[in-house]
Amino acid sequence: MNPSSRLTPYLYVMPLLALLAFVFGYPLIRIFEFSFKMVRGINGPWIGFRNYELVLTQSLFWESILHNLQLLLAIPAMVIISLLVSILLYERVAGWRIYRIIVFVPFVLAIPIIAVVMKRMFQFSGPVNEFLRWLSLDFLALDWIGSSDVALWTVMILIIWRESALGIILFLARLLSLDESMIEAARLEGASWWQRVWYIILPQMRGVIEFFVVVSVITMLAAVFAYVFVMGGGRGGPGTSTTVVELYIFNALIRTSLPGIASAASVLLFLVSVLLIFPLFSARRRAREQEG
Amino acid sequence: MTAARLPRAGDALKQGVLLLAAFMALVPTLFMVLTALKSDEDHAINKLGLPETIVTEHFRSVLIDSPFLAWMANSFILVAGAVLLGTIVSCLAAYAIACMEFRGRDTLLAASTSLMAVPPIVMIVPLFVLYTQLGLISTYQGAIIIYAGLITPFSVYLLTTFFRTVPKELFESAHIDGAGHFLILLKIVLPLSLPALVTLVVVNSLYVWNDLLIAIIFLQEDSKRTLMAGISVFQGRYNNQVPLTMAGMVIASAPMFILYVTFQKHFIRGLMAGAIK
Amino acid sequence: MKKSGPNISRRDLIRTSGVLGASAAMGGLLPMGAHAQAKTLDMWWWGEQELPGLQAFVDGSIAAYKDATVKSMLQDTAVVISQFQTAAAAGNAPDVQYLWNGIYHMESVWLGYLKGLKGLVKDEVITASNPTQLSHFGGDIYRLGWYPLPMFWCYNKVLFEKAGLDPEAPPATWEALLDACEKLKSSGVEALGGGIQDGYWGEWYISHSLPQNLDTLGEAVELFIGDKDFREPKYHDHWKRLEELKTRGFLNKDMSSLELYPGIDLVVAGKLGIGQTIGTRLPADSKATGGKIGYMTMPVFGKGKLAGQPIVDVQGLGISSNAESPADAAAFLEYLNSPERLKAFWDATGWLPSNTTFDASVIKDESVRKMWENWGLKPNISNVTNLVPGQFYERAAIPTGQQIVQGSMTGEQAGELAASVAKEWREFNPDMVENYRKWAVDLSKPT
Repeated sequence: MNPSSRLTPYLYVMPLLALLAFVFGYPLIRIFEFSFKMVRGINGPWIGFRNYELVLTQSLFWESILHNLQLLLAIPAMVIISLLVSILLYERVAGWRIYRIIVFVPFVLAIPIIAVVMKRMFQFSGPVNEFLRWLSLDFLALDWIGSSDVALWTVMILIIWRESALGIILFLARLLSLDESMIEAARLEGASWWQRVWYIILPQMRGVIEFFVVVSVITMLAAVFAYVFVMGGGRGGPGTSTTVVELYIFNALIRTSLPGIASAASVLLFLVSVLLIFPLFSARRRAREQEG
Repeated sequence: MTAARLPRAGDALKQGVLLLAAFMALVPTLFMVLTALKSDEDHAINKLGLPETIVTEHFRSVLIDSPFLAWMANSFILVAGAVLLGTIVSCLAAYAIACMEFRGRDTLLAASTSLMAVPPIVMIVPLFVLYTQLGLISTYQGAIIIYAGLITPFSVYLLTTFFRTVPKELFESAHIDGAGHFLILLKIVLPLSLPALVTLVVVNSLYVWNDLLIAIIFLQEDSKRTLMAGISVFQGRYNNQVPLTMAGMVIASAPMFILYVTFQKHFIRGLMAGAIK
Repeated sequence: MKKSGPNISRRDLIRTSGVLGASAAMGGLLPMGAHAQAKTLDMWWWGEQELPGLQAFVDGSIAAYKDATVKSMLQDTAVVISQFQTAAAAGNAPDVQYLWNGIYHMESVWLGYLKGLKGLVKDEVITASNPTQLSHFGGDIYRLGWYPLPMFWCYNKVLFEKAGLDPEAPPATWEALLDACEKLKSSGVEALGGGIQDGYWGEWYISHSLPQNLDTLGEAVELFIGDKDFREPKYHDHWKRLEELKTRGFLNKDMSSLELYPGIDLVVAGKLGIGQTIGTRLPADSKATGGKIGYMTMPVFGKGKLAGQPIVDVQGLGISSNAESPADAAAFLEYLNSPERLKAFWDATGWLPSNTTFDASVIKDESVRKMWENWGLKPNISNVTNLVPGQFYERAAIPTGQQIVQGSMTGEQAGELAASVAKEWREFNPDMVENYRKWAVDLSKPT
């Protein structure tokens, strides 16, 4: 390679640098700055750690964190569902081509759309409850949307429904690159389906499963805004039972006009996401290494 | 091999599981479509079953009386602008990182790639304040810049990986022929990377099209509203008219659905690549 | 390898990036560019969401106004205030701004973002438009009223008859209300409620019930800033009453998952006996039921001077301190209050403008006219939740109603939550507390 000039590479990356500096660099510096100020509108006086004090002692903030953590409980369900379906698809069970097209559909529909539909379906006097009552399962006909005890679980159901499709995509991709001969050999030796899965398939999928888990963790902590915003009536309701950290920041900025508070919370969330960068990258590296 | 041909309890169970999964995956869509075809009265008494008579009035209402098409146009403008800008920026940078040598190259790649893990919400507060000062709220260009910024880390990462696989001999022979870097990028590297580019465009378009957070905060004016922001407005305004709302949802999901069915392979490949995001 | 086309040199690349960069910068600066032509006014507004037809009125008024070119922008509900305040802080606020009543614009007054209208807009126009007491501060007034929102309880007359209740004599006391609910329940119908999933029902409930134990609205302000305590029985009595309605099984079962407007539809459709509603619905609901929807003030249980008073909220318009020419903005606002425009308002929205000079003879519907006479023209108080700071609204006003209705909170606990959120608000916004205290003085004066 013969660089025609020492400056050329820098010219090529300059647009990238400019864009990233504007969209990431500038904000990241400013959230730290704002978090130490009492911001009204666009600026304000320096108040040291007061914003952090207020945020960290506000029960709503911890409630939001708790809800994010609660959403993590969705991950085992997502992994199991995705594994099951992807393995069955891989085994080319009759009609698998059609099934494959269908099970990706949840991921094709945008989150706001699906949240609106689910919200209607899970109304107290809506179709889901009607169906449950028709099966005489009245005790299961909960107030899915309206009860603060249940609402977060309803959001979780929606998240599992949609994000499992992602898991299926990932797992199937990995499965298709597996060495079939080992599995075939095991079957000929009389290994049961369960044994084949547990002893041969799963170990080879460890990398991609790990990766999926880490991606899902990041999602639950920092990428569920759309789900909660639409299902929770724009406020993380009922009450505050579906508020998550993203919504906390959004409300602080937009609804209660407190950019300083929103910035402090943003800083905290940023620090957490930084911590998660390392597991994410090493999980991805290991997944790719496993594929060889 | 013959044993596998006989139907066994195990096979039936597997069918059952897949059938259940497929059913669960489809149920909301079915509900959405069936309800959109019902009249209000029909839906009130018959929430679960097939429509008594097929009503297409709601679709007409959505397409003509409400701004759905305008919203979709806005979403389209943003997708086009952001993907175009992001792709150009990423191609240039990825080429330099993958095919040139310069100081700070690896640091840049590492920094850019780690930005993928930063949640967009973290950027919102300062950008909102800055944009208000610059008068960029509710402008296409303002939102396009943000979207482009959010999609570039992944794009640079993907393209760099791909560009690195271009054989060195091609570069050398091009240099011998007297071609400069830009020509090489345009005539050799990009054509060879077409699959990656297509994947990238698919993933990034989906991301921008589906986004809600940026759209709500930075495109507040009614005339610039995107489809996703419009949906949350729509369902609030017409929340007592369920069939109408569902008709709106059907129309809103139509573009992606049609693309999915037509370009399945690219779509799925794109989703798989996007999953690595 | 094909070698075709011109050789793109490094210089071309630099030039291209230069152009891209410049146009991006231009695009960023363009909206701030100077308008060198004749008078233009910017107007940010809201309201089409709650009053369909308003957009048509705004467009028509702008088209007909010859003294300036007005550019309007319909705002999203969630950002009406924050967008204005951020713009005002940056010096970019519009000339004319839509303003919800009470704290929703008073905060902007304290931050210096709004211009006082005395001396800018003619006095008689200000008074006729009824900006309400909540727009007063330090002797000046900061809004013109645009359209009124009478707030009251509604009931279905047909269901009343079926339950053996007099449809023309709705319950006036709390005991009478409980009795009516009992009878409705026995006649097989859900007695009272609506939809609280989006929270607003809870807000309205406070609007009707909190003042019942207050003597002035200034007392409410003192509650919110903590000078008085929600934990005192009379200040959370209203939440205990809501709890009572819940424990006696009078509220509709799907109240928690239903939104506000579908909830009101239940009353109109004859599936719910009593609900809370807003005046703008009256024309349509009255027509839909053939006049079978009745209206009443909330039955009285409280002992304050404000108990039993009709409640009228008013949405308004104001002028920002960024306005290049406040006189031009004022002229436009006066234009909107001209007799011709008031009639156009009625034609476009089917609703009354907030102006006592409005010629009410155009109202053909008897119940609409009666409502205007009882709620608009007689003594009334404004919506107390307009005094509530945003933080209190989100954290206490909305969740208390929702949780009591679900059965997961008692009246006392609601009082506790309100008190602790009021305290939290004081800690987050120390700069606002003094302003509120001053405002309480304006609000404690008799209307």
